[in-house]
Amino acid sequence: MRKTLQIIDRMHKEGLFKKYAIGGGIASLFYIEPIATFDLDIFVILPKSEEVLLSLSPLYDWLREKKCKLVKEHIVIEGIPVQFIPVYNELVKEAVLKAVRKKYEGISTFVLKPEYLMAIMLDTNRAKDRERIVKMSDEAEISADLLNKILTAHGLLTAYNDFKKKYYEKETK
Amino acid sequence: MILKRNIMKKKPNKIKESAADYAAKIFKAKKDFHKEQAKLPIEEKIKILIELQKIVLKTQKQERGETIRQVWKI
Repeated sequence: MRKTLQIIDRMHKEGLFKKYAIGGGIASLFYIEPIATFDLDIFVILPKSEEVLLSLSPLYDWLREKKCKLVKEHIVIEGIPVQFIPVYNELVKEAVLKAVRKKYEGISTFVLKPEYLMAIMLDTNRAKDRERIVKMSDEAEISADLLNKILTAHGLLTAYNDFKKKYYEKETK
Repeated sequence: MILKRNIMKKKPNKIKESAADYAAKIFKAKKDFHKEQAKLPIEEKIKILIELQKIVLKTQKQERGETIRQVWKI
């Protein structure tokens, strides 16, 4: 993981993307107890992200030159399957821009804030996302104020209230 | 030894908790345990993750045959 993060940071410094942050299950791992996950999701803001069509080719070409292999939709960097995901909406873009610096074995990297992770999970709304929202609520230190601001700004407040009603109704009665 | 003696002193018939209260206490302890696990350093969590990956893959292989997923080689 150390070497993987070093390579990703090098890609950032070489300008392959403007900004990046770890998202998905591995980002959750920074805030909750370990959960099984198999890939490392990296959200990226590409240099030409304003254009309608964007290309990940420069990233993959750079990695292929470094002998990294493509396995389905992942590229294996130092033993870890990595998936580069260009920011696909305003919420994810804002989450990457506001990501926090974290260290792993002395290597500095960027990780999405827990409040943004929760909002993205709520927006994505797969079964595993719902499960992780519950874990984040129970185990992570969440700023209720920040979460509320994010959910309001991105039209997710009603969805969150419905979620709480469904999963926490018994506890809040 | 002191702990052992204290345990010995407790008589089961003196427990006045209801089953529901007892279960609630257990669930609360579980929740606290998960919260503590969440505070582990990320390096420790990654070690646990790799063990979890091994368990998941072993189960998946037994149930579904081959899988393209792999345990992280780090």
